[in-house]
Amino acid sequence: MRPVGGRGQPENRPRRVRGGWRAERLAPYVLVAPAVLIIVVLRLWPLVLGVNFSFTGDGERNGTTVGLDNYVDLLDDPLFRTALRNVALLVLLLPVAVAIPGLLATFIYLRVPGHRLFRSVYFFPAVLSPVIVGAIFNLLLAFDGPLNAILGGLGIGPFDWLGNPHVAIFAVAGVHIWATFGMALVVFLAGFATLDAALLDAARVDGASLAQTIWHVIIPGLSRTIQFVFVTTLIGMLTSMFGLLYVMTSGGPEGSTYLPEYYIWVQQGQMNRPALASAASTALFMIMLVVGLLQISVLRRAARED
Amino acid sequence: MKQRALWSAVLVAGLALTGCGRASDSNSSPGGSDGKLVVWDWKSGDTSAASYIKKAKADFASKHPGVTVEFVAQPFEQYYTLLGAAIQAGKGPDVMLFNGGGQIRDRVDALLPLDEYVGQDKQRLAGWEAFTKDSKTYAAPVTLQGHPIYYNKSLYRKAGLDPERPATSWNEFVAHCQAITAATGAKCFAQGNKEGIGIQFFMSGLGSGILSPQEYDDWIAGKRNWTSPDVKRIFSLWKEVNDKGLNNDGANSTAMFNDAFAVFQSGKASHVIGLMSDIGHWKDFAEFLDAGNVGVMKSPVVTAGTTPSLPYDGGIGYAVARRTKDPRVAADLVRSLTSTDALKAFHADAGAIAADATIDVSGAGPAVATIVSEIKGGQPALHVALSSKTVELMGRLSQQLLSGSVTVDKAVEQLAASDQAG
Repeated sequence: MRPVGGRGQPENRPRRVRGGWRAERLAPYVLVAPAVLIIVVLRLWPLVLGVNFSFTGDGERNGTTVGLDNYVDLLDDPLFRTALRNVALLVLLLPVAVAIPGLLATFIYLRVPGHRLFRSVYFFPAVLSPVIVGAIFNLLLAFDGPLNAILGGLGIGPFDWLGNPHVAIFAVAGVHIWATFGMALVVFLAGFATLDAALLDAARVDGASLAQTIWHVIIPGLSRTIQFVFVTTLIGMLTSMFGLLYVMTSGGPEGSTYLPEYYIWVQQGQMNRPALASAASTALFMIMLVVGLLQISVLRRAARED
Repeated sequence: MKQRALWSAVLVAGLALTGCGRASDSNSSPGGSDGKLVVWDWKSGDTSAASYIKKAKADFASKHPGVTVEFVAQPFEQYYTLLGAAIQAGKGPDVMLFNGGGQIRDRVDALLPLDEYVGQDKQRLAGWEAFTKDSKTYAAPVTLQGHPIYYNKSLYRKAGLDPERPATSWNEFVAHCQAITAATGAKCFAQGNKEGIGIQFFMSGLGSGILSPQEYDDWIAGKRNWTSPDVKRIFSLWKEVNDKGLNNDGANSTAMFNDAFAVFQSGKASHVIGLMSDIGHWKDFAEFLDAGNVGVMKSPVVTAGTTPSLPYDGGIGYAVARRTKDPRVAADLVRSLTSTDALKAFHADAGAIAADATIDVSGAGPAVATIVSEIKGGQPALHVALSSKTVELMGRLSQQLLSGSVTVDKAVEQLAASDQAG
C-alpha cells in the first residue's frame, strides 16, 4: 500500500517527481473514499445520532438532555431485563442450534438411506418467511391444536406451548432453529466436502464406531466450519427473531419472550418513547459489538491455526 | 479492533456528557402548502370505506374547491410506528386518523386543539371524550367503539333459558352459564388474552357492574382509587372466572383477534365481550350465527348498587397536526369526514356504529338496535382512560393472574404505581 514510486528519481526533475508522488499517495484514499463515505454517512453518522438521541428525554422532556436517565429506566424495566435474560438463554441454546444441523449433515454425508431426499427437505423451511412459519406453528402449538391432540392421545399434556411463560421462549427458539437450520446444514455440507475421505476410511478400517468417528475424525476436521456456524447462528438468533416473536407471542405471555429488538419496536412504536428505544438500541449495539469482537478473534485464531 | 472499541467508548462517553438531540423539530416546514392536505389513515384503502371517503371528499370540495386532498392509507400494524417517526421528523400529515384513548393522548403535543372549529358538531356526534385531554378536544369521532357483551341466543334456547331475558345479576349469570355448559358443552366466555387484550375487554365490559357510579366517574376523571375493594374486584373476578373454568382453555395463548371471536362464532362459548365497530362485532357474528341469534346484554350486577351501562368511546377520529399551514381548512376537512352523509355510508358499508346518533340503523339487525339504544345511557370504557403504558402492563399482569404467578393485591399495586407515575 505504501507509495514508493518517485523516491529513486533523478534530482533534476523535482517538480514532476513530487507531483507524481503526491498523486500516487492520494490515489488509494480517493479510491476508498466512496466506500468510506457510504459507511460514515449511512452507518456511523446515524449511529452517532442515535446514541446522542438516547441521552435526551421523551414526551414532555423531548429535546432536553437527561443524561443517563433512559439507561436507568432500561435497567429498572423488568421487560428489558427479561429481554437481556432471553439473549443469554439463546446463547446457552446455541450448542443445540449448531449440533442439530451438524448431526443431520453428518448423516447425509455418511449416506444414510434417503439422504438425497433429506438434503432438500431439511433446507425447505429456510426458504419460508418467519411470518409464514410463525402462523403455521401458531396453529400447530395452539392449546387445542394438533400437537396437544397427539400428546393427549399418548396420555401426556396438554401443554400451553405459547401461553406458559416458562415454555413459550423455548417454543419460539425451537421454531426458529427449525426454520433456520437449513442454512447451517448447507454450510456443514460444504465443510464436509473439504474433509479428507482417507481419514474416514482409516477410521472405518480401524473399526471405529459412529460416535467415535464423529468425535475423533469429523469434529476436529470441521472445527473451522463449526466455528463459522456458531457465529452466524448466534447473529441470526439475536437479530432475526423479530418476525417469529411478533407473530407467535407478541412478546408474551407475561412479557416472557421479549428480545431487545422487540422491546425497541414496542417502545418506539407503541409506547411513544423513541429516546428510550434509542437507549435500548445502543445497548443492543453494545451487545452485538462484543459478539462481533469475539467472533473476529475466534475466526482470526482459527485462520492462524491453519 | 481494540482501537475501534475504544473509539466507540470515547464517543459514547462524550455524547453522554453533551446529549442534545430532539425528537421533533418544531421549526420544520409546515404542511398544507400549495393548497394541498395530506391525510394519513389505515381505512381509506379498504373498498368498504370507498364511498365514505368519496362523500367526505365531495363535501370538502364544495367548501374549498381549490384545495386538493391526498389520502395515504398506511398498514394498521405499522401505523403508529410510521406516524410517530413522521411526526418526529417533522414530516407528518396534516390530518390523521387516531384510535381514541392512549394513542392520541400520548401525541397531543403534535396536535391542534379543535374546540373552536368543531363546536357545531358537539351535539350531533358522540364519543368526544376519547379524543380529549385536559379538556381540549384533539379529534372528531368517526365511529364509536365499545364493548357490549354478546351472547348466543340459540345456546340459551338449547339450555332451556329465555334468550330475551339475559341475567341481570352475577350469580344468575354464572348459573345460566353452568346450565348452558351442562346442556351444550359450550363454555361461558370466549376469552383471548394472548395479546393482553382480554383484560381490557373484561374490565370495560363488566366494569359498570363492578364499580359504583361514583367510582366509575372518578376513574374516568383520572381520580382512580386503586385501593378500593371494587377496583380489586375487577381483577379478582378476572382470575375467578378463569379458575372456575368459565373461559375457554388456554386463554393466555388464544389471540383475541380472531381466535377468541372464532370460539364464540362456532358456538363453543355462549358469551363474548366484543366490539361495536370494525371487527369482532355484530356484523361478523351475524355471518356465522345468524343475526337473530346474536344477543347483546348489559353487564350483570356484580357489586350491589351499581347501574350497568354500555361502555363505549369514540373509536376512531380524525385529528389535525399543529404544524399544518391553515388550521381552519384542515379542520373543515375533519368536519367533512364526520358529516352525516359520509358517516351514513361508513356505517352501511364498513359495519361500524357511526359517531352520528342521527343515522338510521334499523336495517342492521336487533343487536345493533340494542347497542344504539344504549348509547345515550352509555359511559366511557374504563381501560380507555388508562395510559398506553399502564394498559400494556395490565396485559402482562392479567396473564400472570391467569397463570397464578402474581396475586391480585400485587397486580393492583403495580398498576397503581404505573397509573400514578404518568
